[in-house]
Amino acid sequence: MRRLAEVLRDWEAVIGLEVHTELTTLETKMFCGCRLSHDDEPNANVCPVCLGMPGALPVPNERAIESIVMAGIATNCEIMRRSMFYRKHYFYPDMAKNFQTTQGPVAFCMHGRLDLEVSGIGAQERPDGTTERTADGSYVTPIRILRIHMEEDAAKMVHVGGGEGRIGGASESLVDYNRCGAPLIELVTEPDLRTPEEARLFMERLRQTFLTLGISDCSLEHGSMRCDGNVSLRRRGETELGTKTEMKNINSLKSLHDALEYEICRQAEVLEGGGRVYQETRHWEPSRRRTVAMRMKETADDYRMYPDPDLAPFDLSDEFVERCRARVPELPDAKRDRYVGSFGLRRADAAQIAGDPAVAALFEGAVAASRGGVAPTVANVVVNLLPGHVLSAAQVSGLSNLLADDAITFAQARELLEIVEGTDADPERVVDERGMRQSTDVGALETIVDEVLGRCADQVRQYRDGNRKVVGFLVGQCMKASKGTGNPKLFNQLLSQKLGE
Amino acid sequence: MMARLDTLPARQVAAGIAAGDFTAVEVARASLDAIAARDGQVQAFLQVSEELALAAATRIDAARAAGEPLPPLAGVPVAFKDNMNLLGTRTTCASRMLESYESAYTATCVQRMLDAGVIPLGKLNMDEFAFGSTTDSSAFHPTNNPWDTRRVPGGSSGGSAAAVAAGEVTVALGSDTGGSIRQPASLCGVVGMKPTYGVVSRYGVVAFGSSLDQVGPFGRRVEDVALAMSALVAGGRDRLDSTSQDCEQDYLAHLDDPIEGRAVGIIPALLEAEGLAPEVRAAMQEAIGKLAASGARIVEVDLPNMANSIAAYYALAPCEAFSNLARFDGVRYGYQEPGCTALSEQLSLSRAHGFGVEAKRRQMLGAYLLSSGVYDKYYLAAQKVRTLITADYQRAFAQVDAILMPSSPTVAWEHGSISDPAALYLSDIYTISSNIAGNCGISVPVCLGAQSGLPIGAQLQGRAFADATLLTFARALERACEMEGAVAPACAGKGGEL
Amino acid sequence: MPLTKQDVAGIADYARIALTDAELDEMTAYLNDAIALLDPILEYELDDVEPTFHPIGELVNVVRDDVVAAGLPLEEALANASSRRGRSFRVPAILVDGGVA
Ligand SMILES: [Mg+2]
Ligand SMILES: [Zn+2]
Repeated sequence: MRRLAEVLRDWEAVIGLEVHTELTTLETKMFCGCRLSHDDEPNANVCPVCLGMPGALPVPNERAIESIVMAGIATNCEIMRRSMFYRKHYFYPDMAKNFQTTQGPVAFCMHGRLDLEVSGIGAQERPDGTTERTADGSYVTPIRILRIHMEEDAAKMVHVGGGEGRIGGASESLVDYNRCGAPLIELVTEPDLRTPEEARLFMERLRQTFLTLGISDCSLEHGSMRCDGNVSLRRRGETELGTKTEMKNINSLKSLHDALEYEICRQAEVLEGGGRVYQETRHWEPSRRRTVAMRMKETADDYRMYPDPDLAPFDLSDEFVERCRARVPELPDAKRDRYVGSFGLRRADAAQIAGDPAVAALFEGAVAASRGGVAPTVANVVVNLLPGHVLSAAQVSGLSNLLADDAITFAQARELLEIVEGTDADPERVVDERGMRQSTDVGALETIVDEVLGRCADQVRQYRDGNRKVVGFLVGQCMKASKGTGNPKLFNQLLSQKLGE
Repeated sequence: MMARLDTLPARQVAAGIAAGDFTAVEVARASLDAIAARDGQVQAFLQVSEELALAAATRIDAARAAGEPLPPLAGVPVAFKDNMNLLGTRTTCASRMLESYESAYTATCVQRMLDAGVIPLGKLNMDEFAFGSTTDSSAFHPTNNPWDTRRVPGGSSGGSAAAVAAGEVTVALGSDTGGSIRQPASLCGVVGMKPTYGVVSRYGVVAFGSSLDQVGPFGRRVEDVALAMSALVAGGRDRLDSTSQDCEQDYLAHLDDPIEGRAVGIIPALLEAEGLAPEVRAAMQEAIGKLAASGARIVEVDLPNMANSIAAYYALAPCEAFSNLARFDGVRYGYQEPGCTALSEQLSLSRAHGFGVEAKRRQMLGAYLLSSGVYDKYYLAAQKVRTLITADYQRAFAQVDAILMPSSPTVAWEHGSISDPAALYLSDIYTISSNIAGNCGISVPVCLGAQSGLPIGAQLQGRAFADATLLTFARALERACEMEGAVAPACAGKGGEL
Repeated sequence: MPLTKQDVAGIADYARIALTDAELDEMTAYLNDAIALLDPILEYELDDVEPTFHPIGELVNVVRDDVVAAGLPLEEALANASSRRGRSFRVPAILVDGGVA
């Protein structure tokens, strides 16, 4: 198969996403008071409603409605003032009533849009010149959102007797209704995405947005956020859509990218070989890095959708929508811009911090506890040192102050991090107690520099002959002479100064 | 004091227990005794819950002994249509599908009756899943009309109407999707009320047509029905039913208000309709005369789209039925075909063998009507016709407080004498439109037919949420007709002594 | 155009109701009679009429608080199931010979 970059020179990929997000931060299911939980024993959280017992009726969870409206506001959707729940029928034991309660043609949120900023090597995946680019090749592209609707999740099925829990070959399946009826929002994009990187970025953006809203833990790995991608190819310059395939079983952002990349290349090969792409659902196998066809549908499904008579319509008032709007916190883009504008952060660092609400909170807490002007150092700590470590905002602030003062080196900061992690120790105190603080007393350091220059005549000669690298050796000698307490940056400055005289 | 349970109004049962004339356990035993003596002929019951009944009665007696205030329906014998969940009983919907289904919880309407102090005597026969108007489609046995056991009691709440008419219980609950309370009430000579949609919680009542179903009481007198209604709305709206509304009130408060000068509507064309039995027509004329004699103004009104309510109903109800009955697949509960090695085989055979023929017909019709390309033509159009029917009622109720019409075009017919389903569908012509519009209706016995000697009920329909007003008119009609408290003669006096 | 026996077989398949050949004939006749009963609806001019999906007037926005309520204990949840395995409901093979069973 040809590589993606080559394929996309000849073909345009048209990609759309369907993203299901479980509202994991709620206490209860969508239409009953059963506890929402991920790791309970099978059928521990069930009741007549979510088991579809005869006579049971649904009552919607108000916070779920608030959550989806917040999601709609955060993705620039129009909040539809009147909508209804519908019943979507299919016979499968994962739906206790053999219909799913979902929304009809009018969803709570319609016609939204997110502007994607694509930069770095990912931006090179898109070869066409239709997007305006900055000097480094990055570009911004709008992705329209068709709708976000509210629905209920299905039960979990465990297939027994086949290989690796697969449904094919299984002799029986076990049904656990704990997840049945869990509140789910489904976002459907317009087919506006053009590269796997755009799809990956969109998904990441969505994840960051929903995390910031606090409506879900957004775990792709655990399935609380699930993404189906569909893709078709057309020759560059054509406007008609090709036949699309749908990709399932995508449980990481990387899988989303790689599955689409594989599928684009596969379709190109099929089409270039004179073959034809079939409309089908394909399963991504991460271990073998390929998609395989699942069963083909002979006929389009007819779900017999109709408005659920058990559920009153929704008529969202201005007050309700405004209340939801007030609950939408500062979103990642705005946060990023603020970090750049008021703290002078590098855009990439700002974006990375703003993308994760927990990291952003830590960053802001640390900045607040630090003296002015330290924010870029705090950002540096948060982006480069912290991943994998848990520190309090005060500790991050202490660490950043020390770095900003040149009181410790970056290497020492790593060491310090290991020491204070998991304790409530103050990094500045630890540095003092352990004598790690580096001297910035220029007079004292000058004495050491003079001493070292005096006994390293060889190196001084080499430097004057043009070998500037020798400074590193001299800094090392100074550090040794100071027993590690001197600041290497200052030694470097002093050495360069004296050698240049 | 010697009394016969079947002659006592609910109020007097409760009062007698409060006064110490008899105990609740004695009442429970009298009711069990009447059931034992009468139900062999009538076959209204699917289960008699003797243990639950005696336990409830014992609690009431203990409460009285402890000097606690007694609830309003303390000790009143009640039974429930078998589509209502009651812990400790099976809920079968008279279907093989649910033959051994043990209620997993108690329906709100049942619970509210229990909270009002009633003694639960058991579960009553019905047409399978409430599809029918004879109770003959019960998978277990038909129910016989207590006035003439060769005849049907009507349906689908035939067991509820028959148990009350036979004097086995004082009050019964039924459900009405297209006339299933009012029609059997008429055929069995008892009072049966379909409240306004949303007045009584549907939680725990096995759904047939979710936008049409409404639970309501049967009694031998309007007052008993009003008491039951008060119990059903006590506590306000049910938080477990999104479509229920807060209608808490005392329906006795205005029961005996005079109707002088108030308007009752009649629809002349309906009273001349083809298929209306002459004795029923005569009974309606008589009832109109009596209402007029009571001071009511008789006003002609029109419901121009009512004639098409059957068509609208059969485009709507089967769709909701298909959807509601999809859950019966034998996986979580219900009949499961044994020996299947493949899921789709198990589902299709469980449903084929668990459901009776009418249940399958309705679901097939619904599955067809909801399919793409067909949905707009019938279902959506019928929902629009529903708008027109509702508007007709609004216009009529701007002029009158109640509309009088028959509950059924005929008196009770003999088992098996009507076999064409379409002919049976047409017999709901007088009741169906109030389910479509969601307003309230009640059937009140007005006389015995001049030819048949069988009971005939007149139906009063009222505007949405004016259930108390409807009861006032029902009470006035009852007063005028002197049929209050009648027990089917063949049953009266058999067992049930207190 | 009346429904054919084949149409009806398709509906039965979808509705998961196994019908014998004789039952299919009876069902086809029934459905065509029942659909004929609906003819009066087709006479209406309904373009300007709003549908009434809910006969409850102004009732909107009925919700509940996000508060946990007691559910069913496991044994009660499974009590009515004909087939179970441990804590789960059991169904037979879903796919047979690579196709939908
Ligand atoms: Mg969906
Ligand atoms: Zn539940």
